[in-house]
Amino acid sequence: MNRVEHVMGFPVSLRIDDEGGGSRLDETADALFAWLREVDARFSPFRPDSEVCRYDRGELRLPQLSADLTEVLDLCEQYRLATGGAFDVRLPGRPLDPCAVVKGWSVQRAAELLTAAGARRFILNAGGDVVVSGGPWRVGVRHPEHADQLCTVLELTDGAVATSARYERGDHIVDGRTGRPATGLLSLSVVADSLTEADATATAAFAMGPEGVDWAAARPGCEIFAVDAERRVRRTPGFPVATVAA
Amino acid sequence: MKRVIPVLVLSVAGLIPVWRYEPSIGTTTTTTTEAVAPTPTPSATSSSSGSSSSTPSTSSKKVVQGTAINTDKGTVQVQVTFEGDKISAVSMLQQPDHPQTTAAVPVLIEETLKAQSSKIDTVSGATITSDAYVQSLQAAIDAKGA
Repeated sequence: MNRVEHVMGFPVSLRIDDEGGGSRLDETADALFAWLREVDARFSPFRPDSEVCRYDRGELRLPQLSADLTEVLDLCEQYRLATGGAFDVRLPGRPLDPCAVVKGWSVQRAAELLTAAGARRFILNAGGDVVVSGGPWRVGVRHPEHADQLCTVLELTDGAVATSARYERGDHIVDGRTGRPATGLLSLSVVADSLTEADATATAAFAMGPEGVDWAAARPGCEIFAVDAERRVRRTPGFPVATVAA
Repeated sequence: MKRVIPVLVLSVAGLIPVWRYEPSIGTTTTTTTEAVAPTPTPSATSSSSGSSSSTPSTSSKKVVQGTAINTDKGTVQVQVTFEGDKISAVSMLQQPDHPQTTAAVPVLIEETLKAQSSKIDTVSGATITSDAYVQSLQAAIDAKGA
């Protein structure tokens, strides 16, 4: 079963390989996409009526926030502290923008919806951030300079991988310590148990620049593949590079 | 603390796609698409086998010439040999004389060849826009699986 829908401005591809239960799989997929659309409505910094925007304008106070947004903002704060301020969702002169954490967190939650509904073998790819279950699955990592090429392939059974880079949306990741776009790396991928961890770590490390590679590598449960500005590839020994296909 | 080890050098600046991927969803399926978005791994074929009538047989051999690309170091053109859905060889039809470029080309080819010839189920990358998705590898994979 394959479905692709566009939510939050990016494509979400879902593949479920479990046998049987065709209509049940469709219902599960419906629930997944409904959840992602709900997240967009509630947490988008581009929708004036979203909870995020209302909080940012002072119409909601901290105790009035939903448990979900409180959890997201707590995560944002953890990564801000862990990166010495390089990762910051409250940049001066800009609206509150927790997208970097919301994406990984909400897609991880979506994957848990699938598992709770009984799905065992699936790939959920949200605009390049991937959660897999019941593999082994082979996940290509896009080459940082050529959209039509891969720079590595990894093998993942259960887990998540997220990649941060400049090639799709330009210099959109800002180093909160300097207020300037982060340009020290071409691409950085993180493999972790959950996409919440993988995506936030990838974005935060990318914001830090070259020192972010070692920072991310030191985080428990995270394996790293990075291409720096000089096109050198650095990876942790545990990064699950796929063996050559038979 | 885990140590991050430098493992390889990718390529010199602004260099050469080894081969050109031409998105052609909805029309014909090019062999280059087959190479990067092949049929799922044998363990995963149950739900999607038979969905593509254009998959070449594993014994078929096909040679594809890439587009000639003008770089600031000269014109570059590659030739790729496919066996079934895998790349079996890459050679340079045109290659710039610049010593730095000629030195770097084999490294790039070697690395991308290693990755391209692998079967993959999905692609991780920086958050892609819905517009850019149309021309992405992931779109080709989705089109094949649908």
